[in-house]
Amino acid sequence: MTIENDSPVVLRDNAEVAAALGRRYEAGFVTDIETDSLPPGLSEDIVRQLSALKGEPEWMTEWRLKAYRHWLTMPMPNWAKLNIAPIDFQAISYYASPKNKPKSLDEVDPKLLEAYDKLGVPLHERAKLAGVAVDAVFDSVSVGTTFRKELAEAGVIFCSMSEAIREHPELVQKYLGGVVPTGDNYFAALNSAVFSDGSFVFIPQGVRCPMELSTYFRINAGHTGQFERTLIIAEEGAYVSYLEGCTAPMRDENQLHAAVVELVALEKAQIKYSTVQNWYPGDEEGRGGIYNFVTKRGDCRGDDSKISWTQVETGSAITWKYPSCVLRGDRSVGEFYSVALTHHRQQADTGTKMIHIGKDTKSKIVSKGISAGRSSNSYRGQVKVEKGAEGARNYTQCDSLLIGKKCGAHTFPYMEVKNPSAIVEHEATTSKISDDQLFYCRSRGIGEEDAVSMIVDGFCKQVFRELPMEFAVEAKKLLEISLEGAVG
Amino acid sequence: MSQSPAPVPFIDALRDAADLRLPGSGLAWLDAARRENLEAFIAAGLPDTRAEAWKYTALRALGQRRFALGDAQATGHLVDPHALALPGIDGPRLVFVNGVFRADLSRLETLSQGLTLQPLSKVLQNDPEPLRFALSRHYREAGDAFARLNAALAGDGVVLRVAPGARIGKPVHLCFVGTPAQGDVAWHVRNVIEVGEGAELNLVEHHLATASHKHLGTLVSDIVVHDGAKLHHALLQNAGEESTLIRRGSVHLGAKAQAMMHVLEIGGTLVRHDLHAELRGDGARFDTRGVFVLRGRQHIDTQLSIRHQALNTASESIWRGVADERARGVFRGAIVVAEGADGSDASLNNKNLLLSPLAEIDTKPELEIYADEVKAAHGATVGQLDERALFYLRSRGLPRAEARALLTAAFCRAVFTALPNETLRDHFSDALLAHLP
Repeated sequence: MTIENDSPVVLRDNAEVAAALGRRYEAGFVTDIETDSLPPGLSEDIVRQLSALKGEPEWMTEWRLKAYRHWLTMPMPNWAKLNIAPIDFQAISYYASPKNKPKSLDEVDPKLLEAYDKLGVPLHERAKLAGVAVDAVFDSVSVGTTFRKELAEAGVIFCSMSEAIREHPELVQKYLGGVVPTGDNYFAALNSAVFSDGSFVFIPQGVRCPMELSTYFRINAGHTGQFERTLIIAEEGAYVSYLEGCTAPMRDENQLHAAVVELVALEKAQIKYSTVQNWYPGDEEGRGGIYNFVTKRGDCRGDDSKISWTQVETGSAITWKYPSCVLRGDRSVGEFYSVALTHHRQQADTGTKMIHIGKDTKSKIVSKGISAGRSSNSYRGQVKVEKGAEGARNYTQCDSLLIGKKCGAHTFPYMEVKNPSAIVEHEATTSKISDDQLFYCRSRGIGEEDAVSMIVDGFCKQVFRELPMEFAVEAKKLLEISLEGAVG
Repeated sequence: MSQSPAPVPFIDALRDAADLRLPGSGLAWLDAARRENLEAFIAAGLPDTRAEAWKYTALRALGQRRFALGDAQATGHLVDPHALALPGIDGPRLVFVNGVFRADLSRLETLSQGLTLQPLSKVLQNDPEPLRFALSRHYREAGDAFARLNAALAGDGVVLRVAPGARIGKPVHLCFVGTPAQGDVAWHVRNVIEVGEGAELNLVEHHLATASHKHLGTLVSDIVVHDGAKLHHALLQNAGEESTLIRRGSVHLGAKAQAMMHVLEIGGTLVRHDLHAELRGDGARFDTRGVFVLRGRQHIDTQLSIRHQALNTASESIWRGVADERARGVFRGAIVVAEGADGSDASLNNKNLLLSPLAEIDTKPELEIYADEVKAAHGATVGQLDERALFYLRSRGLPRAEARALLTAAFCRAVFTALPNETLRDHFSDALLAHLP
């Protein structure tokens, strides 16, 4: 158990706080079930085997190989403000699937369900209570999808990516890689080559998805990387709200997670994508933890379309993630709301890109960074207004909160404007929790920890407001847990 | 990186540079430093846009050009001394034409007590030893390409010292003149400026051209403001409209030292201005006010970086940018608060006007904060003139162009309200107005 040297004496003597400091990662348990994995290593053969194991058609295998060959030619990006130990891509197993494949939820290994239980995933009955359709991804293979029938009646397709490749190849072929091309960046190329599964959502024209869709990702087996691929298509006038949550068990070594999420919004369509990311962050000394390299991009292809990203990032040893919007359609809208919290030795370099191409496009960015311990938390964002983006409008607000003297909070916004009718605004502040606020709360009899958590909650409110209710509650709780012992 | 396949004329032209006789040649330490920096520059070549510091400024076209190694006739060019004068500035003056010191145009007779002001070429001849430390520096950072080139080839510049406690009343005028010569010339100037403890100095740096030319100038200024000293530095950059200017200034501030810098950039076709400040002593303060106004195909890239390294330091930066026609303005304003620099108060404000569909503004304010007892904020905007304000002026009978110029000037002028020398302030405003399309 470590306490920052510069914590005030008051805290050092506080047994309660000391106990909280030693609290372990709550989702850090390993489910002991047999898995069927590929041997570690990456080569064309592995890519072929992976594709064969999944029974994919020829075009998919070729698509993967093309991405793999491209990946080989690319250097690992190093522009982010991250200190990354070299990753041995040959030491990773690119496929792990539970051995006894379930036919339905009832056949799902009870241990697995138990695991979800511990995580609080509203699968099964809880799913119904919560009114959430869950596509749970457990070590790369989708184990159970609920609410399929109800969704099917509305014409919504919500299934695993493997299934989509089998059952809806025409849709997958049409859209896959259309937003994030296979060679887009190093990790996107890697993902394209070896992605194991993920979610596929298709909302047909004019349909408002009757419930919120949700996926829970979980890396379980050791030495495996998780590479999901998510594709969401909203046709003309469709609406969908998609929730994604992530956790991983506690392990000493670093695990790799490189996901790609592609969103396509056609005319007047709206996609709302919310993430709560709570991958294992590593311990106080920075041992272990997930390397989280994610490419998320939404394409507002049609006029009047809207894509909104909301993320709460509290986990992962390293976060490299920039959910973006390409505002192609006229009057399309992009939004990005983010809370990123880093503690101990976590490093996050996260932000967004808003590319204004269509006329009268609007984007709004609200980013709240909280750094504690010895962590490093950077916002990196780009707002680009292309020549033809007449009347484009952007507003960006980035606030950072520092808790402790050994952490860093950084802001790197890029604004590139090529149209004289555009208005682009950026504002950023960095500060610590004000002593006045703390004192006020303390004088009202509120304990220091609670006061800090209240203030942080207030700091993040603008983002939490954007989250679906049950997620907002979880996010708030997560933040509290992650911040325990951070006050100094 | 190995040598690029196609030869780069810019680099090619430097092949014989190692044999060049420069002031100070023959001093073993200086020769060694020059050689090493030259080799480093040639080996690395010009930075490309993949380098973060050059992301928005491509040097491909510059790389295709060939510059003469200095202007042999620099002391012979006819320059009207009246053209160099700035209103309200009548103190000592140091003039460089195409990078070479011109005693005939300078005014060094009546120096106040405590002020030492000499051209570098002369110091290198008479008493180079005190400069040994400053001039033997090797630039190793990836973004330092031009500092290396400058260190390799600079033979002249300003050596200015203010003795501790001395208050220099009259502003010191540094004048860099570009004038047509045989072919395109590359000149390199190196300034070493030191303001002693508790001393005060007013500095005016002025870049101008007598006629159009396509020279390349690089200028490196190292300024140290010692404990409790005060520096005011006004920079009027009105270099030749087809010239290229690469300026790099670094300011180090001691405890309770203060520096205030006013910058107006209107000249040059390709201008790169790096300005680094390090607040090294407790209670130091660094303020900048700057404007660039661009038209035609001008490209100006301003890179401001301010590092708070000590307790209770403060910095305030207010910058405005205007880009019209096909111009491109680039601004980066980075504030770093180092670990332990508690009590730092840093703010940066950058507003830009984009006036034409073919112009572009790229701005990148940055904050890097490693201490928690800080106040740090930045804001940046890109927009256009207020249509209602324009309409108001036009309804009062002002032609559109005039109304536009008036509003643009007002947008910029706010930056100079703190310029202490009123006559100079008016001159800045006039220069700005004259440059507006």
